[in-house]
Amino acid sequence: MPIEVGRVCLKIAGREAGRYCVVLKKIDDNFVLITGPKLLTGVRRKKCNIQHLEPLPFVIEVKEEASDEEVIAAYEKANLIRKLNLKKPSAAQLKAEKEKVKEKEVEKKTEKKKEGRKKKK
Amino acid sequence: MKRVKVKLPSKRMVIRERKKKPKIQKCAICKKPLHGIPKLRATELKKLAKSEKRVERPYGGYLCSKCVREIMRERARKIA
Repeated sequence: MPIEVGRVCLKIAGREAGRYCVVLKKIDDNFVLITGPKLLTGVRRKKCNIQHLEPLPFVIEVKEEASDEEVIAAYEKANLIRKLNLKKPSAAQLKAEKEKVKEKEVEKKTEKKKEGRKKKK
Repeated sequence: MKRVKVKLPSKRMVIRERKKKPKIQKCAICKKPLHGIPKLRATELKKLAKSEKRVERPYGGYLCSKCVREIMRERARKIA
């Protein structure tokens, strides 16, 4: 069971040991970008060492670096939510998540502006 | 408290009280010492917050990281 894009794996190390995640992108032969997504399985989108993953025999159709909504939709299409008895996040949670992501982007922009001003002085 | 006989420089023998040394916490399966767990006596452990007495991982203060990986691998293989 090769580790490729869309492969559903079980995280076997770290805080999220025992939780499901999906591979989104192969960074190099040791590292891979994964996401739970956070609202579905509690694993957030981050780089992960393949030694901390155990591949499962499920693959979901997901393009590289897809957004969390697309991943949840792909989970549903492969009716994995019922098979792995996960709880689908409600629409309200999804909206709240989006706002949080926007806020972080806004903060990053303001920080850049502040750094810009310091250099000018 | 543990009573210990101590020989003083004046060659006199005195009984002194010493604290008992606590044992290192060991993994339940492979009996290897656990990392990240303080070595303290029960009364001192009580003062610590829960997060200081265990590791942030399933089976945190109970199994070592290698044993947790094996257990999770078996769990993944059972799903297949």
